[in-house]
Amino acid sequence: MNEVSAVQFSPDTVSLTVNGTARAYRGDGLRRLADVLRDDFGLKGTKIGCNAGDCGACTVLMDGAQICACLVPVGQCDGAAITSVEGLGGASRLSDLQRSFLAHGAAQCGICTPGMLMAASDLLTRSSSPSRSEVEDALGGVLCRCTGYQKIVEAVLDVARPAHIVRDGNVGARAAKVDGPAKLMGTERYGADGIPADALYVRAIRSPHPCAKFAPGNLEAFVAARPGLVRALTARDVPFNAYGIYPNIKDQPVLADGLARYRGDPLVAFVGTREAIEAIRDEEVPITYEPLPAIVGVDAAKAASPLHAGRDQNVLADGGVTCGNIEIVFGSAAHVAEVEYETSFVEHAYIEPEAGWAERKGDTLEVHVSTQNPFQHRDDLAQILNLPKQAVRLISSAVGGGFGGKLDLNVHPLVALAAWLCDKPVGYIYTRPESMAASTKRHPARVKAKAACDASGKLSAFWSHAELDTGAYASWGPTVANRVPVHAPGPYIVPHAKTRGTAYFTNCPPSGAFRGFGVPQSAIASEAAMDTLADALGTDWLDFRRRNALKAGDKTITGQVLDDSVGIVETIDAVEPYWRTWNNAAAVFNAGSPRVQQGVGIACSWYGIGNTSLSNPSEMKIGIAPDGRITLYCGAVDIGQGSNTVLTQIAADTLGIAASDIKLVMGDTALTLDAGKTSASRQTFVTGKACELAALDLKAKLAQVKDRAALRNMPVDNHGDVLTGHGRFDPPTTMLDEKGQGVPYACYGFATQVALVQVDLDFGTTKVLKIAAAHDVGKAVNPQQVEGQIHGGTAQGIGLALMEEYIPGRTENLHDYLIPTFGDMPEMICRIIEAPTQHGPYGAKGVGEPALISTAPAIFGGIYRATGVRVTKIPVLPHRLRAAIRAKEGTR
Amino acid sequence: MRPFIFERATSPESAIAAFHADRATSFLAGGTTLLDLMKLDVVRPERVIDINALGANEIEISEDRLRLGASVRMADAEAQEELRRRVPMLTQSLALAASTQLRHMATLAGNVLQRTRCPYFRDVSWSACNKRLPGSGCAAMAGFNRQHAVLGASDACIATYPSDFAQALIALDATVDVVGRRGRRQLPFAKLHVPPGRTPEVETTLAPDELILGFEMPIEPWMSRSLYLKIRDRDSYEFALASAAVALEVDGGAVRQARIALGGVAAVPWRAREAEQALIGRVLDEASCQLAADIAFAKAQPREHNAYKPLLGRQTVARALLQAAAMEA
Repeated sequence: MNEVSAVQFSPDTVSLTVNGTARAYRGDGLRRLADVLRDDFGLKGTKIGCNAGDCGACTVLMDGAQICACLVPVGQCDGAAITSVEGLGGASRLSDLQRSFLAHGAAQCGICTPGMLMAASDLLTRSSSPSRSEVEDALGGVLCRCTGYQKIVEAVLDVARPAHIVRDGNVGARAAKVDGPAKLMGTERYGADGIPADALYVRAIRSPHPCAKFAPGNLEAFVAARPGLVRALTARDVPFNAYGIYPNIKDQPVLADGLARYRGDPLVAFVGTREAIEAIRDEEVPITYEPLPAIVGVDAAKAASPLHAGRDQNVLADGGVTCGNIEIVFGSAAHVAEVEYETSFVEHAYIEPEAGWAERKGDTLEVHVSTQNPFQHRDDLAQILNLPKQAVRLISSAVGGGFGGKLDLNVHPLVALAAWLCDKPVGYIYTRPESMAASTKRHPARVKAKAACDASGKLSAFWSHAELDTGAYASWGPTVANRVPVHAPGPYIVPHAKTRGTAYFTNCPPSGAFRGFGVPQSAIASEAAMDTLADALGTDWLDFRRRNALKAGDKTITGQVLDDSVGIVETIDAVEPYWRTWNNAAAVFNAGSPRVQQGVGIACSWYGIGNTSLSNPSEMKIGIAPDGRITLYCGAVDIGQGSNTVLTQIAADTLGIAASDIKLVMGDTALTLDAGKTSASRQTFVTGKACELAALDLKAKLAQVKDRAALRNMPVDNHGDVLTGHGRFDPPTTMLDEKGQGVPYACYGFATQVALVQVDLDFGTTKVLKIAAAHDVGKAVNPQQVEGQIHGGTAQGIGLALMEEYIPGRTENLHDYLIPTFGDMPEMICRIIEAPTQHGPYGAKGVGEPALISTAPAIFGGIYRATGVRVTKIPVLPHRLRAAIRAKEGTR
Repeated sequence: MRPFIFERATSPESAIAAFHADRATSFLAGGTTLLDLMKLDVVRPERVIDINALGANEIEISEDRLRLGASVRMADAEAQEELRRRVPMLTQSLALAASTQLRHMATLAGNVLQRTRCPYFRDVSWSACNKRLPGSGCAAMAGFNRQHAVLGASDACIATYPSDFAQALIALDATVDVVGRRGRRQLPFAKLHVPPGRTPEVETTLAPDELILGFEMPIEPWMSRSLYLKIRDRDSYEFALASAAVALEVDGGAVRQARIALGGVAAVPWRAREAEQALIGRVLDEASCQLAADIAFAKAQPREHNAYKPLLGRQTVARALLQAAAMEA
């Protein structure tokens, strides 16, 4: 036909240049460039975070311009020149830009790093010395959940200056990440990167209803009718169909058995080729539903019949602390402040969606996943499959962000089950909407608090109750319900207290662990109460906090006497200059700007490092081979925060060798010992101590050897080592009694943050201009990484405060669910305080979660100072703040 | 995604001809909307015709006219220094619309034809969406409708029209150059989109076989006094809660001409003509700008979660007008 002669039909050949090499692609022209680069050309450095153009992880250059490879059909690339991260430096050489990223610590988990590098390359070819705002705009399409963007901007701005990379840092050095080069070159292997090319894939069909009875129809016929599908999986195929974090609460099914308890609950699953399982439309799967009324919110939960048998009023957990007698004190207090806040579901939004694969090897199973929790996940998988623990080997891939969200099982049970049953490698990569629908969330909390002080400004009593929406399954709900009451008043001397945390089941996504375990939510209320009391006294907010801050020798509300390492006053002192200067500057600004107002807020926080009153040991092993090579066998998983580097620094310093002489094996249950979960800010503190002890043990054993040459003649173990040092550390804690009294943590991290914010009174929009953050970390093993944690935690705090609100079924992508971008980040000042603890390695505590807690309350204080209002529903989106301002102004 | 045929057209004629051969066909330009919606299974074309190679890449700026080819990338239009100077509203609406990557990929015609971000439209597990499944209802009416339209919506659909650039085009009295099987035609940009009414699945007056070739508009010297103000939940790329494209011709302190278009609040590109009229002859001050803003939202119909929008929209219009008044044109 003449009229279509100018139309070229698919399939056709696409000729393109990739990193300078001519390539030909033959096949479906609508396949996305990102998939072709990764799967056809083996260039796994290009990452897929959302497949929708929202996150920018897949950014590559097309004819020199940055584009999202996930939205470009390869058919459009005919004649194009594509540059991916592999084309920047080379197989073994870092480009200047990559070196600058490494020197600045600009990569944490590294999953966004290739995208950041490509976006920066695009900018740098157009402008060799760009301004900060040009960098922020050019890189603004790449989301990062770890770094708070600060060090990335600095790395791009400093690219022309030769960067000094510290490779062999001891404790205290700003050492470059030991796994940094791999992350920067795109050779690091995350959950999706290692799935064998011949693997089958599995995919769950998830409930579209928050609560429904369901019955699968004839799935065998469905499978038989679709070429490429191998089999269906239902609850009946799972040998032990329940898992959970707590040994006594295994309430979450691998595949739901007749009742879907949240929108996203997996009901059935299919195994087949990747194309075949992706082609399945959920609504075509034969499942009949009987939707039931859903329990939404904690008030509904109290009134509803139990979602799980025996859970009266749907209460999962109820924890509390009581000391003194608050009733008497409240009755006679000089000032009393009462506040109430309500927070929302918050999504972890790590840029790497859950992914992994499993392979059966005879009577054993190997599972490769992106996890924060390898040993518990191995144990859970063994239980689910009814196998002995030794039959399951779990190997953690590099982890592209976790923040608590990868502490729970995700793809693991289905890849394990499918690989076991099909005897083929089976992979699973969550899509972004699936990741957001299925994964755990931060608990929405309704926190009521009441605080009292005497006429001299000393806190006398504190009461609070946090009601937590724990969603459909227990997950980490008990941990949150117990941690909140212990921390509820904040880092202050409070002689009389009664605090409580209660978690309720609802038909919402399971709420689990998320950076801070409920403490960030509760700190919003307690810090607002401190502001209110200070105002009632007519006292400066900072002075009020300093007057009441805990000092060494003081008692906490659990009766624990803090006998070492209490750096809260030093953190307050460190931010005081910013507090004073910014308050003065805001007053000057406000006088000349009626509709745009500035305000400064301050918040203090504390955080117990490690598990609450539970044993949480870490064991580490360091071996030396006959040739003298040292291997650190590390069961702790680095999720981007930098434990690989910190633990290497500790081992090197203790052994007196160079860090670059240490080989690292991470998160392999067959090779490493159990170093617990990467949670509770515990890896530097707990595993770091075990690492130091292991190094000391090895050092002592080496001292017995006459000379190094003697190593060559010694017998080797199954790792190829001749000597091994062991270290084990379990922080000293005690159980809490029925009044919550005891020693829940061996040490605490402390922090104070000051935020300068600017509010547009007409629009209700808030811009955080500056944040000064002082954190007591005991000892900064790597100050650069500590800063990175503070930046990243603060970014998540800004998100929690101002924009993040997960609504099931409505916000399951990274554009309708907003996380902070470059443009949302303030100028940040970090001050590291080192009040060493006797328990930690070299005095170190932890900083991962403390980084986040103070940010939101400091911002809310600033908003209050700018507007005179406090919005009690979090996040403070523009419409909420504007409504509160209007109510106060009583005008249009 | 379903099986489909992918074709590349090298001329408008071949694209149109190929279209006619099969009804379940989509044109593919930058792909930033279409590929996303195909992955989500919201649109299910059996044939996709890539129209990137058919030309329409021109940017022609003369003394008094501007022509922008349909396939011009957002970034390329935004980078025109002369346009930034002469019609800042236009380039600002592009710069604030999306990330750099998307601005490199998305075309101008694709941008104005992009589909709504209504979550009930974009997620096929919601059964009620008149736009996706005509006659199925509208889940947004009683659902989470914080982002939804307060102007130009209907009982069948309250989805918000998402484009920023379109607000500049409608404010500038642009015309659309279209070609189809029945030949070439021009229509006012204001006639390109149709309000949802009872048929929200019909979004434009384009025939299925018609393609946009470009946009044309007069440029006058006073348009240098123009701007695009966008209020959103976060500071980098994000859709508008409310936005305003405004341009003002001021003569001896009084308004001679005003252009006001509203984004983020309406079901289609939205020109606030009555508000413009109210400004003519007036001195721009707090009162006159607020009056115009009130008129712009006089017929707003808020729902449960978007009740803030008329108020926010008014403030946005008033602020944009005052800022434009203060510009050195």
